[in-house]
This record gives sequence, C-alpha cells and structure tokens, in this order.
Amino acid sequence: MLFNSAAFLIFFPVVTTAYFLLPHRFRWMLLLAASCYFYMAFIPKYILILAITITVDYFAGLGLEKFEGRTKRWVLMASILTNIGMLAFFKYFNFANENLALLAKFIGWNYPISSLAIILPIGLSFHTFQSLSYTIEVYRGNQKAERHFGYLALYVMYYPQLVAGPIERPQNILHQLHTEQRFEYRRVTDGLKWMAWGMFKKVVVADRMVLFVNPVYNDPTSHNGPALVFATLAFAIQIYCDFSGYSDIALGSAQVMGVKLMKNFDHPYFARSISEFWRRWHISLSTWFRDYVYIPLGGNRVAKPRWAFNLFLTFLISGLWHGADWTYIIWGTLHGLYFIFSAVTEPIWIRLSALARLDRSPRLKVAISTLTTFSLVTFAWIFFRAASLTDALYIVRHLVKGWPSYLVQSWHTIVQEGFQKTADLGLYSIVNALFNILAPLTKESRTVIALTALALIILLVIEILQYRGNFLEQLHQKPVYLRRIVYACLIAVILILGTSYASVQQAFIYFQF
Amino acid sequence: MPADVRAFFLSTVQVVLLTAAIIVLTFLGIRPDPDHYFAGSLLHIKLLENTPSPRMILAGGSNVSFGIDAELMQRTLGIPVINDGLHAGLGLAPLRELEEYIREGDVIIISLEYDLFANQDVMDGDPAFLSDWIEYSPRRIEYLSNPLTEAPRVYAIMLQRKVNRKVNTYLFGGSLNEVRSVFVGTKYDLRGDFIGHLQDTSTNRQKIPATPYPVSVVQEDIFVFLENFNRIAQEKGARVYFEAPASRQSNCKATGEMPLANFFKTFKERSSIPVLTPLEEVCLPNKYFFDTEYHLNARGRELKTKRLIENWIKLTAASK
Repeated sequence: MLFNSAAFLIFFPVVTTAYFLLPHRFRWMLLLAASCYFYMAFIPKYILILAITITVDYFAGLGLEKFEGRTKRWVLMASILTNIGMLAFFKYFNFANENLALLAKFIGWNYPISSLAIILPIGLSFHTFQSLSYTIEVYRGNQKAERHFGYLALYVMYYPQLVAGPIERPQNILHQLHTEQRFEYRRVTDGLKWMAWGMFKKVVVADRMVLFVNPVYNDPTSHNGPALVFATLAFAIQIYCDFSGYSDIALGSAQVMGVKLMKNFDHPYFARSISEFWRRWHISLSTWFRDYVYIPLGGNRVAKPRWAFNLFLTFLISGLWHGADWTYIIWGTLHGLYFIFSAVTEPIWIRLSALARLDRSPRLKVAISTLTTFSLVTFAWIFFRAASLTDALYIVRHLVKGWPSYLVQSWHTIVQEGFQKTADLGLYSIVNALFNILAPLTKESRTVIALTALALIILLVIEILQYRGNFLEQLHQKPVYLRRIVYACLIAVILILGTSYASVQQAFIYFQF
Repeated sequence: MPADVRAFFLSTVQVVLLTAAIIVLTFLGIRPDPDHYFAGSLLHIKLLENTPSPRMILAGGSNVSFGIDAELMQRTLGIPVINDGLHAGLGLAPLRELEEYIREGDVIIISLEYDLFANQDVMDGDPAFLSDWIEYSPRRIEYLSNPLTEAPRVYAIMLQRKVNRKVNTYLFGGSLNEVRSVFVGTKYDLRGDFIGHLQDTSTNRQKIPATPYPVSVVQEDIFVFLENFNRIAQEKGARVYFEAPASRQSNCKATGEMPLANFFKTFKERSSIPVLTPLEEVCLPNKYFFDTEYHLNARGRELKTKRLIENWIKLTAASK
C-alpha cells in the first residue's frame, strides 16, 4: 500500500482509531494484522519471506541468549546467512548470474545457468537489515531476546517503516511497542503535521520533479548539456523529497500511535562536506553500515590505507544495497572516493581557504562548501538515476556540451523579450522571456513550471526554518487561528498542487530497494 | 470523552472546515472557461433538447465534430441534423448522455475513433478530459462508467485543472488564445459543427505521423455497450447506424488492408448496428486532413459529408 494512495487515506484513520479503542494487550495483534495487510497490498505471497526471516530470527534471538562461545557465533551466523541469503537470492542472483554469463562468454565458456523471473519483494533490503540488527544487537548483549513472537514480528513488520525505513534498532522500537500508549493531543497532532509535510514533499514536489527528470533520463541521447544538468538537479530534489517525504510520513504515522522512530533525514543538502552529508542523509542506513560494517572492519582506528579501504568497502556495499546494478555500485564507490579524497586533502583545503582569507567571510565559506558538497552529491545522482551505465556515462560526457549556444540564446531572449519589450508589454514580457529560456530544457507547460517553482519556494522556506530551529515548536507558539489556517493551507496546497493522488500514483523511489 | 480526544476532534473539525472552505472557494471562484473547446458541448445539449424529432444526430469523437457538416446534411436531407461529436478522449460518456435525449423517429449515426475499440481505458475516458467536460454540466458525473468510484478523482483533477487554467491565463498575459489556437469553444455553428479549423491553412498542421490505427485488438465491452445503446434507441423508436471514422490514407496504409478489413468484419459480426460506409470508401487521401489522422480539413469535411449523404440515401432507398 502506498502512503500517497486513497487506500491509505482510509487505512490509517481506521487502524489508528481501532488502536486507541483497543485495550493495550490486543494492540500488537491489530498492528501486526494491519502491517500484514499493508505489505500484502503489494505482492501477497512475499509475506512468506518475512515469515521465514522473523521465525529464524526469533529462535536465533532465544539461542543467542542461551548459548555462549562458538555455538552463539554459529547461531548468529545462521541468522545472518538466512537474512542475507534471502536478500542475495531475490535481489542479487540475476545480477550476479548475468555478470557471470558475460564473463563466461568473454572467456569462451559455456555458461548453463539462466536468469530467474523474480520480482524483487518490496522493501526487502529494509526489513532484512532491520531483522539483522535485532540478532546482532542480541548477540552483542545490547538487547534482550524478545520472547513474544508477535512483538518481534511487529518490530520487523511495523507498517510505517516496513517498506522504506527508517531501518530501526531493537533498542529503540521494541520497548516502545510494549509500552501502553495513550492518546496525547500534542503528540498525535504533531505526528499528523509531519505526515502532511511528508505528503507535500512527495506529491507536490517530488512527483512534479518527475515531469522534468523522466523525459530526459528516459532518453538522454536526445538532450544536450543544459537539459541534462537541469534534469539532474531536478532529480536531486526529487529523490530528497521522495525519500525524506516517505520518512516524514512514516515518522508521523508512528508518532500518532506513540512510537518515536529515528530521524532519517536532517537537511542533507545544507551539508558542508560529504561526511556531514552522510550524517544527514538516510541516517538510519548510514549508521547501520557504520555500526555493523565499518566499525567491525576496524573503522578509523587502523592505519590510513586500511581506514581508506574500510571506508571504500562500506560505501561500495552501500551502493550495492541500493540496487543490483553497476550504476549503484559506481554511485556508492563515488561517495567512498569523495569521502577519502576530502579527508586526505583536508589540510590543503584549510591552507587554501586561509590563503583566500575565507575565514574572514564565514558565510562565503559556508556557501562555497555547501555548494561544492551539493554539486558532488548531485553528480553522483547521475549514476543512481540513469537507466544503465551507458546512459550514465553519456550524461556525464555531455553535461558540459551545448552550453555556449544555449547561453547566447538565453541572453538574446532576455534582451529581446524581456528588457526591450518590458516597456510595451510590462511584466508579461519578462515572464515570457524566462519561460522561453526554460523551453529548450523541458517540454512541460508554463503552468507546470510556475507551480513547480511555487512548490520549491515553499519547500525551501520551510526547510530553512526547520534547519534554523524547531519549526513545529515555533509554529506552536503562534495563535491558534493562525496555526489552523497554516495547516488548512498546507492540506489545500497538497490537494490542489499534488500530482500523484489525482492521476497516476508514483511509487516511492526507495520501495524498489 | 477525555479532554485530549475532545480537543483533537475540535481542532480536526476546524482544520477540515477551513480546508473545505479554501477548496470550495477555489472551486467556485474559477468559473468554467467559455472559450474551451468543450464549451461547445453545452450548445450540443441545447440542440438535443430543442430540435424537434424526427432528426438526425451525429455522435462520436472529434472526427465527427471536425469532419462532418451537419448543416450541409440538413440542407440536403431536409431533416434537422445535430452534430454531437466532441472528443474521443471522453470515451463513451457522451453516448451515455445522448441516450437520455433520444426520441421517437431519431436517426443516430455513431462514428467512434478506432482507439475506443482497442483500449478499455480509452473507452472509459481520460479523467482529465472527463473533468473538463463535467465542469460544464455537473450532472454529467452520472455518465462515467463507475460514477461512485471515479467521481472523487475526477473532481480532484477538475480542481487542479481549474487552478492550472487560471495560472496559465496569467502566464500568457491574461489570455489563453496563444495556446488555444483554433480550438475555441465559440467556434461551433448553429448545428453543432466545429468550424474553427475550416479557415486554417497553415501547412505545418498537416505534418501528421503515419502511425497505424489500433484496429488489431477489439474489446468485447464496447460491443456490449453499443448493443445496449442500440436496444435503448430502438425501444424509444429511434434507429442507430455506424459510420467509419475519418481515416487518413497513410495511416490506413500503415495499418494494413487486412487488419482494417478485419475490424469492420468483426464489427459487423458482433454488432447489430448497420455500417453506412463501404470499406473501400473508409480511407481518404492525406490532403483532406487537418492536424491529426482523424481531423478532416474543410475539403475533406465536404467530401466526407457528401459521401455520407449518398450512402445514407442509398441505404434508406434500399430499405424501402
């Protein structure tokens, strides 16, 4: 079930109302049944995968508490192999098989294994990692094994974060699920506000960006540099609003029922370095990799070359986690390289900024570092979004092509249709000039472009306000009537400007992972 | 009721009412566009209400509104003729509306674009087009294939399209004429024919891709609908005929003779509605087309109408 579907509009209030009406001892059953229903709205039979991993991890958890030494390690290994095995089979089998077949063809071997017709289960990577973190934390002694099968199943399947995270840790969630939650006005309404904001990001911003991204990325060879850059920037906004919008809805819907999920995004595009970006982007995944891959490999408490290797490997696996394709591997690798390069060259940057006297103008320094980080991240998104490696490389090669003529044309447009005609036609001529500059970049209508600009302005203003402080808290200080108007306007904007609920629903990008 | 729950209900009601007020004000504040191509559907309804029977009604998509001259037919045949054609994107909804206006003695000539036979979604109509059409007459919501389930979506799209239209008007300096081109709702004649394109001679409009007509797959549901339509018409004392849509030679060629012949064969086998135009007259030379493979220009319209009159006279003479 999609958060941005009519079905969820009925599902959520029904489940939430029933949740608060039921006595606490029955609530886990309701939430588990609701979560099964939520998941089975996609491909019902795949619930069996969850059933298998939950059962294995339930008994693994009990075994990890019971046994010590080698047996304990074997139990953990069994859990890891089951979880990773599922992931490997459903997500990576065909990728590995196709590459092996290519390799075999290259060296002239007869490769007999054909690819399987498998549809990737929705959110497999998310619930597998969440399930894994349970057994690892029990193994490490940070979490007691859950004796109630239903609660463990609910921990893995809790519908707000089942298919696209945040990837939770048992220490944060399990005790909250056990605790009796009462209806608290402030908590419930704050949760609903997060949901509305997440919905705005998804249906108003992200789904509008699709209109600028897809035509270019579905056929990159028909577009020149300016259009490729424009579409890539649009994708950077799309993926942020799509995924963080999902996380906001997940956080909000869980909060309504008294469960506080971990923050998954913290204004990542305001980051001033790649390391800061990863502390702000998909936090639940980056901390998962930090805790379960990077630190066990030795983290940064090793020699520099080994540290660089640890980092590189972690990002490479992170890329592979996102998708079984070379484009994702390159995307992860690029971030690894960014990270290593920025750490290695840090002293040089400090000296350069001192030479340029950037310390005297901290705002400029912040602007430069933020813009540089954003550019690097956006460049890497090309590999994330492109349909194939060939497309990605084509886009990279053509990003700088076609600019001079485009700039000259834009200048002529401004002069001829903007400044020169302003006297005769007023503001309209400037508006006309602006749209004519955008015309070669997108085939979308003026309305779509104008409403997208409006949506982006709203997004930017709220993001800045959130970045500067607790926006919800600040809003709460305002008079009641003003708050009501703001909420009503937000819902009206979602209804009026939202694209997906009215036409074809766009699935969340991260569902595929 | 606990205080928190009461406070929640109170604030929810307030926010819902405020949101509803914003939506309703926006909805009512943006009036239907009198210059929209679909505004012509109001004229069609007036004609269907006020034209005495017996009369001839031409129904179908834009191939009918662009390509058949009801006025010429009226002059030649001596009976009132109404052009009720509008847009294939509306699916079968306009035919459901027409059912209500059928009277004893009426002759209804239906000319549906091939796409309606090929695709269930096209048969049901495009929600965006339907929302524009319903905006002119809200009771049209009942002509949707599933009014209850489709209505929320159609109204949501209608709201968005109203706002988009308003914004677009501002962005084009206060008038949509620049984007509307010849497709203006005021350019219908007294018989409901669309005449906005008749004076347009711009050559770039004639660059029509030679894509095949989708005649290979034929949905069963459309025959169920047409049979039901025919039955209702007969019960009211009216007769129904089928006329092939305007078909462009290059597109016919791309489609292939056999598939096109099979389409009409299938139609005749599955439908009790007589077909007026013989197969050899279905395709017309490219020079008679305006801007799509279904839209005839002034000369094409004249030729098609004359052929239709001839075929009609032949058919009625033969039946006597």
